[in-house]
Amino acid sequence: MKINKSVITCAAPKQRKLPLQTLIDRDGKEKTVLEVLVEEVLNAGIDNIGCVIHPGDEQSYGEVLGDYKRHVTFITQKHPLGYGHAILAASDFVGKEPFLHLVGDHLYVRRGEKGCAAHLVNVAEKEGCAVSAVNAIRESSISSYGVIGGRRVKGTSDLYKIENVIEKPTPTIAEQELFVPGLRAGHYLCFFGMHVLTPSIFKILKRQIEYVGAGNRINLSGSLAKLAKQEQFLALEKQDWRYDVGTKYGLLKAQVALALSGKDRDRVLTELLELFTSRELGIIGR
Amino acid sequence: MSKLLEIITSEDPGLRNLSLDAVCKGKSIDFLLSECDVLDGLRIGNSNLYQKVRGLFFLYAIHRFHIPFRDGVDEKSIIPYDAYEHLLNRRFNESIDILVLKQKENGPNKGLSSALAEAYKKLAFQTLADQVKKSVRSTLGNKWMFRTGHPNDHPLCIKKELFITDKKTGLYPVLHEVTPVRMDISHSGWSDIFFLGMDYPEGANVLNISVDLSIKNEKDEKPKPPIETFFRIIEEPILRLTSVDLGVTTDILKLADVFDFAKDYLGLVKAAVIASGIVPPAMEGADISIADLFAQMLAPGLGIEIVSQVNGIPKGSRLAVSTNLLASLISVCMRASGQTNSMTGKLEESERRLVAARAILGEWIGGSGGGWQDSGGVWPGIKLIRGVISKEGDPEFGISKGRLLPQHTILFSDQVNEITRSKLQDSLVLVHGGMAQDVGPILEMVTEKYLLRSEREWDSRKKAIEIYNILVEKLKDGDIEGIGEFTHKNFEGPLQSIIPWAGNLYTELIIEKVKLHFRDDFWGFWMLGGMSGGGMGFIFEPNRKEEGQDFLQDLMCGLKNEFERSIPFAMDPVVYNFSINENGTYSSFNHGFAALLPTGYYAIRVPSILKEKMQNIPISQRNELEQLGVACKTKKDYSSFVATLFDRMIPQVTNENSEDQSLENLLEKHGFDAVFHNQLKADLINGRIGLSQNRLPISTKITDVLEEDVNIALNGLGDKYYQKGLQSLKNGEVAIVSLAGGVGSRWTKGSGVVKSLNPFAKLKGKHRNFIETHLSKSSKISMLCGVDIPHIFTTSFLTHKAIDQSLKRNGNYGYKGPVLLSEGKVIGLRLVPMARDLRFEWEEMPKQLLDEQQQKVQESLHKALISWAKSVGEGSDYTDNLPQQCVHPVGHWYEVPNMLLNGTLNQLLKSFPSIKYLMVHNIDTLGANADPALLGLHIEKGSALTTEVISRNIEDRGGGLARINGNLRLVEGLALSDEKIEFKLSYYNSSTTWVDIDLLLEAFDLTRSNLAESTKVKKAVRKMARRMPTYVTIKDVKKRWGKGQEDIFPTTQFEKLWGDMTSLPELTCNYVAVPRMRGQQLKEVAQLDGWLRDGSAEYLISICDW
Repeated sequence: MKINKSVITCAAPKQRKLPLQTLIDRDGKEKTVLEVLVEEVLNAGIDNIGCVIHPGDEQSYGEVLGDYKRHVTFITQKHPLGYGHAILAASDFVGKEPFLHLVGDHLYVRRGEKGCAAHLVNVAEKEGCAVSAVNAIRESSISSYGVIGGRRVKGTSDLYKIENVIEKPTPTIAEQELFVPGLRAGHYLCFFGMHVLTPSIFKILKRQIEYVGAGNRINLSGSLAKLAKQEQFLALEKQDWRYDVGTKYGLLKAQVALALSGKDRDRVLTELLELFTSRELGIIGR
Repeated sequence: MSKLLEIITSEDPGLRNLSLDAVCKGKSIDFLLSECDVLDGLRIGNSNLYQKVRGLFFLYAIHRFHIPFRDGVDEKSIIPYDAYEHLLNRRFNESIDILVLKQKENGPNKGLSSALAEAYKKLAFQTLADQVKKSVRSTLGNKWMFRTGHPNDHPLCIKKELFITDKKTGLYPVLHEVTPVRMDISHSGWSDIFFLGMDYPEGANVLNISVDLSIKNEKDEKPKPPIETFFRIIEEPILRLTSVDLGVTTDILKLADVFDFAKDYLGLVKAAVIASGIVPPAMEGADISIADLFAQMLAPGLGIEIVSQVNGIPKGSRLAVSTNLLASLISVCMRASGQTNSMTGKLEESERRLVAARAILGEWIGGSGGGWQDSGGVWPGIKLIRGVISKEGDPEFGISKGRLLPQHTILFSDQVNEITRSKLQDSLVLVHGGMAQDVGPILEMVTEKYLLRSEREWDSRKKAIEIYNILVEKLKDGDIEGIGEFTHKNFEGPLQSIIPWAGNLYTELIIEKVKLHFRDDFWGFWMLGGMSGGGMGFIFEPNRKEEGQDFLQDLMCGLKNEFERSIPFAMDPVVYNFSINENGTYSSFNHGFAALLPTGYYAIRVPSILKEKMQNIPISQRNELEQLGVACKTKKDYSSFVATLFDRMIPQVTNENSEDQSLENLLEKHGFDAVFHNQLKADLINGRIGLSQNRLPISTKITDVLEEDVNIALNGLGDKYYQKGLQSLKNGEVAIVSLAGGVGSRWTKGSGVVKSLNPFAKLKGKHRNFIETHLSKSSKISMLCGVDIPHIFTTSFLTHKAIDQSLKRNGNYGYKGPVLLSEGKVIGLRLVPMARDLRFEWEEMPKQLLDEQQQKVQESLHKALISWAKSVGEGSDYTDNLPQQCVHPVGHWYEVPNMLLNGTLNQLLKSFPSIKYLMVHNIDTLGANADPALLGLHIEKGSALTTEVISRNIEDRGGGLARINGNLRLVEGLALSDEKIEFKLSYYNSSTTWVDIDLLLEAFDLTRSNLAESTKVKKAVRKMARRMPTYVTIKDVKKRWGKGQEDIFPTTQFEKLWGDMTSLPELTCNYVAVPRMRGQQLKEVAQLDGWLRDGSAEYLISICDW
């Protein structure tokens, strides 16, 4: 299996400005969130990117992409009918190929040398099936994520066969439906915002729309649960960091994380320490 | 190999189901002790729940029913206090270790066996309770709640739909859950108790129906789900809980108050808040405010309001109202916090199971409990609920054979068709007989009997399972008459064979009269839940159902009037209308105008809101009042609200008691001494008297008796005494005095029923009360000696009328001899206790520690009662109850002097001048009779008093025979300077005394000839009374309210006790140790089952003339 295309979703009404936020990347250069994401995809060896946007956002998105614009095709989601609907909007762009998918309001900070997306794409190509990146999260936070249940693939340390997917479950439901042997008590595998999906997902999403009726919202998790029932669908547990820039202080946290993993690490650390000592401990100037 | 161990560990049902009695019958004491040694090994280090628990029950039964009755087992014993202390503090293993060691050192004796039986039994039940707790905590979906201890970790958020106020009305939407209750056609012999399902899943079967109800002849007759619960957001950062049916509301600001279950009447709602995860159980003890928690879960400044309403169904209905109410509350909270897939409509099967598991958890948290079928109302329609064998992955796997939670199989219309459903509704009359009894002891008895596999009970269990299978088939066939036949057989056969206490005289009379009236059109009786007397079913030919309803209403009310002084009723009997509920628990989401809460809620809430200044009322509440105003004008349900509100805000003067039954009249009529009362009251308030002052000075030397102090009559006294006594009886020298002035507050937990008239057991095919039993013994002795012995019952204002009427109605129960009543002439008025006395009673006296949650609930209740005493005035007169519950008899010392005061003794001696001796005994000393040999001993010794004592068992608390500073006398438990001393006293007072009339009169400075001089008699009694110590005691009194609700209040009263007569130097006293069968007293209903099984009942029958 070879993955040639990627889809980034940026059309959610309340989140459409987030990919345009600027910050300093690991290399010390100022970039928008969208640019960082595009680089993440390019780093995975994929140079054909579909960006699902709100109608009328082409210009502002095009402006921030600069040179990267040539790799990006804008796809407009005419009506804001949910995450699943946004993915479905990219079906013509993707065609009958597997594709990498990233959400436009998350930033990923790798722990090792290899990029997060590159790692995921490698695994998906090797396994020849859909793979979602996941990480273990405490039960107190799972109500913000799509959560999977499944079993570890024999002989691997970070791959799981997905058996069930539930969007934003309570721990009550998670304990009953989303148990994953081998995890710490009270921890569940939550989506990382990065998936390699097969084109079967479009069929499932279409059926989902037929089921709920045109004009009604659909999410992605319900369709992913169905995907897991009809074909091999794996989860790759990531040790990397991901930041949801749409949450309170999300952009700040993402910025600090990027800075601490990049070339200006020492400078940023020193400045943070100075800020802390002067403001909180009142040491400077005494 | 040990025979009993073989039975316990065998997989072969033939061996495994052998009864303990079959193995132990006729076996030597050595055999029993060696079996005990082996079984005791199961206690430690055995993880198999069944083996451990069955071993413990075997040990209990050997010590309770076998060892004490073997030859060579010492009668006299001393129970080590350390072991008792461990037992009280629930350190059962430590207690057993000490007792077993003592037994090995000194050989077996009855006292040690009684303590070992108690300890093994309690350990067995504790082991079971621990396993239930463990299983519930380990249920998937519940585990997270036990590790979420901080608000920042709280994973639940309230569904966003609940935050959106209606644009037009401004009201927050309301989630409204309606839940039916359950009635069981068969529970296969209480097979829904947790342990049975876990150990014998194949025998755990229940057929149960969810029903809607209404009370016949009330304005809204159409049946509807009896339980309604509501959930909504409020604009105050608090948790507001309201129970409409109990008429209470509370605003909780601190998390700790959610865990304070007995602070108000909202313990069950609080348990639901915890078990649903809104406030997870792991947060207990966290020092945070509700505002902080809700800021995390909802938004700063917002709160949650939960309201419950039970529509007219009283407590004790046997329809599992409280469990289903708990389940309904849990369900509505789970829906609101996104723990179910759908916020409205029915629940999914997995969700129902979780609600049921959490209801069990909630019951444990709230310190109550029931069976696993009780949450049946959560499921729709008719269903089979069956035990399930545990599999790998279940928390019970490897520990017990079955799972804690059963499997529910709904019988849809393809199995029980619509015609059958309506036929059932057309034939069945559901009633509440008005009795509300605690079914808890019955469930414990069932567990015990199941494990002991006694032949009769085990055969009955198998029979009950057969009947269950037949009932399922009859239901599928639509044969309602057949259902009636077999539910009736079930009640008359297996149910009462396993637990005789499932039936009672009241139920029997109803059935008998219904049978007589309706003959073949009465198809059968149907016992609901754990026992009869409360919720019950009667199946009629459909054309006569309505007549049956009216007939039962009249019949039950008539019987209640007849028996209300002898059988504990909590309310007037009612007849229900019912229909099958095909939804189970069901929720709707009410917006706008429909989001108003029920009128009962506003009747509780509005008065306090109206007292606020308008500007202080939050806008959301003002909106609500505005909409309520509109509803009062436009909605039928709300049209009478204004009148209700007026009644609530300006309470009407109730005139429940006619003048002659008012408290003042009662006191005046029955010899209340206001001067004495006020003196005692002042002494109590000033701290001169009190519970701690009852005690003898610490310097008092209290030691056990010497061997020569007591005559031993354990194996008879020999012919010489017998002949002497017999001759005296033949000469007409004896009269019997049964003390029946008290109501027996421990017997019915302060319900005010006359204990002596309570039909306590079925003996020789008939329910018998205490009075009839005592007369029957006198009858037998009268036949023996050929003289009709006069029998006197001493009474009090509480008991006189009821006893008099009962004797007249029943022709003295066939007793041919003279029966006299000696009416009490002294009365006391109860007082609100002093907080220091309550603390002394609850905190300083040795008390049985309860299971963890129950103990918490009890401590919370004690705290609330101490606050109550302080708020209403410590030491003030207790008057806030029915008049007869406010007054008290002043102790049994007065019962004999009363015979002097009221002329009964004078009349007796005039009518029967030959009488020289009285045998005075307590109403609950069932084995006491005018035994010729004991009488002979009394005459031979020539003492004024001969008191009968028994060797002490663990349950015999309250003093005994002792040497006080060297003087032999009876000492009351209240007077002992240290509770440990009691454990050094070998003998316990049986309260039976033989009295030489002339010597007693002499002590009073009286003679037979001046008994008619009332002034002289009064003076003599007063003089003697002054010499007797007055004890302050705490007694529980029930206060009934609402529909079958009961509160128990502690009250202070004063008593003088007869045993203190033995301290008078001028009265010669003699003591005789008698067999336990003769001297034991039945103080509590819980003793009855053991009493019936250990030979005591047979002994009683043998000395009665039935």
